[in-house]
Amino acid sequence: MHRLKIGALVALAAALTILLVASPSALQSPPPSASLVEYNDEVARTAAAGIDFTGEWAPRFHEDEPERVPGPELGDYLGIPINDAARMRATTWEASIQTLPEWQCRPHSADYIWRGPSPLRVWKEVDPVSRQVIAWHAEWLRSVDRQIYMDGRPHPSPNAPHTWAGFSTGRWDGDVLTVKTTHLKEGYVRRNGLPRSDQATLTEHWMRHGDILTVAAIVTDPVYLTEPFIRTTDYELDLHQWVPPYPCQVVEEVDRPAGRVPHSLPDTNTAITDFAKRCGIPVEATRGGADTMYPDFRLKLGDITSKCIAAQR
Amino acid sequence: MFAIAAGLLVATPLAAQRGRGQAPAIPPRAAAPVDLTGYWISVVTEDWRWRMVTPAKGDYDSVPLNAAARRVADSWDPKQDDAAGESCRSYGAPAVMRVPGRIHITWDNDTTLHIDTEAGTQTRILRFGPPSQSSSSADATWQGQSIAQWETGGRGGGMFGVAQAKPSGALKVVTARLRPGYLRKNGVPYSANATVTEYFNALPREENGDTWLVVTTVVTDPQFLNGRFITSSHFKKLPDGNAWHPTPCRSS
Repeated sequence: MHRLKIGALVALAAALTILLVASPSALQSPPPSASLVEYNDEVARTAAAGIDFTGEWAPRFHEDEPERVPGPELGDYLGIPINDAARMRATTWEASIQTLPEWQCRPHSADYIWRGPSPLRVWKEVDPVSRQVIAWHAEWLRSVDRQIYMDGRPHPSPNAPHTWAGFSTGRWDGDVLTVKTTHLKEGYVRRNGLPRSDQATLTEHWMRHGDILTVAAIVTDPVYLTEPFIRTTDYELDLHQWVPPYPCQVVEEVDRPAGRVPHSLPDTNTAITDFAKRCGIPVEATRGGADTMYPDFRLKLGDITSKCIAAQR
Repeated sequence: MFAIAAGLLVATPLAAQRGRGQAPAIPPRAAAPVDLTGYWISVVTEDWRWRMVTPAKGDYDSVPLNAAARRVADSWDPKQDDAAGESCRSYGAPAVMRVPGRIHITWDNDTTLHIDTEAGTQTRILRFGPPSQSSSSADATWQGQSIAQWETGGRGGGMFGVAQAKPSGALKVVTARLRPGYLRKNGVPYSANATVTEYFNALPREENGDTWLVVTTVVTDPQFLNGRFITSSHFKKLPDGNAWHPTPCRSS
């Protein structure tokens, strides 16, 4: 009997020790009135929040494949809530700007990379003591390692440097991981010159359903968008995928005078309307804007059958 | 070692303990982890040229079609569909959430969700519980038979025991018994053997007040698809149904 009592005391002491060591939050906030069982239940509930996104994810191009793989056509701004400033930037853009040494190894930014033609790897960084996820990492073929902090740290000062990945923090809403990203470098919302400013913020919602990952990415940009711009993108878990290395070396692709930046002057690029003509879609629609993303815009369009087919690309 | 194990057992979470018993059944409506009801409008920022205008015959980019499906798509004739009373072919369950328009989601009762669509004036009935026993192909309809369930979280395991599974936030819907139709308006086909699995996620309210519904749609069709056809469509919540304006099916 005496041995049993000692054993029980040792067990209780061990349980308390484990809880205190295993969880930083244990040091912060065990409510004085909570029982050990209630407190441990809360720790277990918090630690088990959300779902695991770890794995190799293969992109599925069942949406917008022509835009995402071979690339968008010049002058196609359909369904994007851009303003006149964005339109001006896009219509003066020339694709050859990407041959500049400064552009050749430029990765896609955190907001665009979901739509890029790249496999994705996600892994979690776990605190070795508390075993809580303190960050998610995402890396694509053409991206930097992107961290999403889950430990409640604040976003840095507005004056902190901006990067391709930006600064991201996450929180759980049920099984949905909601990610807020700030401090992005200037990027693009479509690879045909449509800009996204460095004042933009990104909200993502990651949703996993078995072996399918769907991510809603919502860009808010006070400089170039009149409304938030949402896209939802799907990946499939691929147990045999491996994101390969993507070394990039800057070379002299085009012999041009030093300092020349490829561009068109406003209202001079007549190729901007080629897409509209080829596809039989009104030029006004291809110029984009918030109206074009709502179903009622079809009332303005009338009955139109597109002339675009893949063979003509 | 025994002491540590005993300590862990002492600290077993309540959830694990609850998992050993049978919880009383909660009706799906009461158990809903999110509110899907209301009016929603599709926001077409993807696949614009296939959704907002009628695509050209033969424009089936992005869809993993096999050769048989391409042959069918290449012979698309909307006038023939109209004449055959098949104008709703592109408004079936595999496609209708992708057709631009508003949708209205309500509960018919504790176990049945109801979706009306402006586009094609279609009605989808999502029933929780087992499918009906009837399996006649004559039952096939544009919207098929849909079985719904709330997705549940993991139950854990190991020495902490097994917790009671809880709804995790998404609605899963599996639909079969479909009348053959089109994945896109331009005759890209799906067969009567197609099945549709959907996941409805109502997302947390954004800082600007927007609320989004994301529907991930997975179509499998051994007759016409080389693999799963996966799309995700997003809808923004509307304050009311003032702009609700159902329109009939159109073949082109």
